[in-house]
Amino acid sequence: MNPRLTWLRQLAAFALLLLIWEAAGRAGLLNPLFFPSPSRIGAALVELFADGRIWPHLEATFTAALGGLALGIAVGIVLGVIAALVRAVAELLEPVMTLLNAIPRVILAPLFVIWLGIGLASKVALSFILVAVLIFFTVFSGIRQVDRRLVERIITLGGDRWALVRHVYLPSVAAWILGSLKVAVGFAFTGACVGEFVAASRGLGYLLSFAQSTYNAALMFALILLIMAVVLVIFAAAGRLEKYLLRWS
Amino acid sequence: MLERASITVQRGHFVSLVGPSGSGKSSLLRAVIGLQQPLAGAIENEFAPTEVGILFQDDALLPWKTARDNVALGLTFNGVERGQALEQADFWLGRLGLAGFGHRFPRHLSGGQRKRVALAQVLAMAPKLLLMDEPFASLDAIVRARIIQDVAALVERERISVLLVTHDLEEAISLSDVVYLLSQGPRARIIEDYAVPIPRPRDPVRARTHPAFAPLYDKLWSDLSRQVDREQPAEAAE
Repeated sequence: MNPRLTWLRQLAAFALLLLIWEAAGRAGLLNPLFFPSPSRIGAALVELFADGRIWPHLEATFTAALGGLALGIAVGIVLGVIAALVRAVAELLEPVMTLLNAIPRVILAPLFVIWLGIGLASKVALSFILVAVLIFFTVFSGIRQVDRRLVERIITLGGDRWALVRHVYLPSVAAWILGSLKVAVGFAFTGACVGEFVAASRGLGYLLSFAQSTYNAALMFALILLIMAVVLVIFAAAGRLEKYLLRWS
Repeated sequence: MLERASITVQRGHFVSLVGPSGSGKSSLLRAVIGLQQPLAGAIENEFAPTEVGILFQDDALLPWKTARDNVALGLTFNGVERGQALEQADFWLGRLGLAGFGHRFPRHLSGGQRKRVALAQVLAMAPKLLLMDEPFASLDAIVRARIIQDVAALVERERISVLLVTHDLEEAISLSDVVYLLSQGPRARIIEDYAVPIPRPRDPVRARTHPAFAPLYDKLWSDLSRQVDREQPAEAAE
């Protein structure tokens, strides 16, 4: 087995699976209500784009996810840095964050809908809370684990506090955040989609909930595929960014 | 912990501190450069803080900066403009045999090369006193011998005073003008100091074949063994 052809074998296996699925569907072995055949899922996907009605939904989900991601990273960094530097803040924040980290944060979705309405804000809030807690712990524990030897090196070379922040703390923090960027992107889209699923008038999560209530399995599969594709594209982008910025490691 | 140490480093002299682990050698260096305070007493140091450089056991380069950026760092802290600092960094990297390696990140350099970058970083600051805390311990024998040769030549030419902490008697004798022997901790002290009568300029590898080397090594070794045996009677009895 040539290891370089792994992807080819995986692709072949996947194609075979689709083929069996399609054949079983056409032979009447699968109930199309639950398992629409691949060709019908494909048709549903094409239809979503063909009449253009998918774009506002894609836009809504992207806006919510990226908004929550940006806000979550910013607030996570600020809180993490302050907590790492000020003991009193850490004492207050750490138990709250630990609690938020322990629970499945998506259970807050209904609360956000009540507070912020069924519009964009409640989805951004859910994305935000998912990402912020992750980034907080990344930064908070990261700063405390900064390599003492690097700190001493800067001091003995005559660097001041600002030099320490600029040359040791900031790059360290940036490295840790980039390291959890992929997880954060996944969290952001989870927040946006779950939020839309709970209550919304737009978005991929909303379409999914619509497909569920109308028993439209083909649409559901098409949407799941679409969300997977979207997240994979963003993962790849995050991976490229990470690889470039962490090229020293 | 080290008690009552009086160590003199004359200008341009190479002085070594040899002693067992836990005798407080590293703490002494850290106190000289101001990373830690002595529990009692004071360090008399006629050099300004900017005139003292230190080389640690691990190279402690910033992993996210290239070799030349690492070397230039200390210069920019002391007011050298960045472009000029980089020029000097290239000069020092070249002097340490690393011309053309300036744009590599530390991860893409070997252990010996990283050590040379760390050396360039310290020497670029033109220190008058160079402190070294077992700087070569982690290197393999050949790389180590080559770096020691280069360091010896550089500090001799630049007339830099050196205070080296090491476990290694051979290294200490072959490099130094004076070797201080420390006793076993926890209440370590200086047992004695020994002048090394090998003339300069001196190649530290060839110095090992100088007629004065072997007798001095024997003397230091027997004094050190006696110390270790006396402080650890249980282990000696086994």
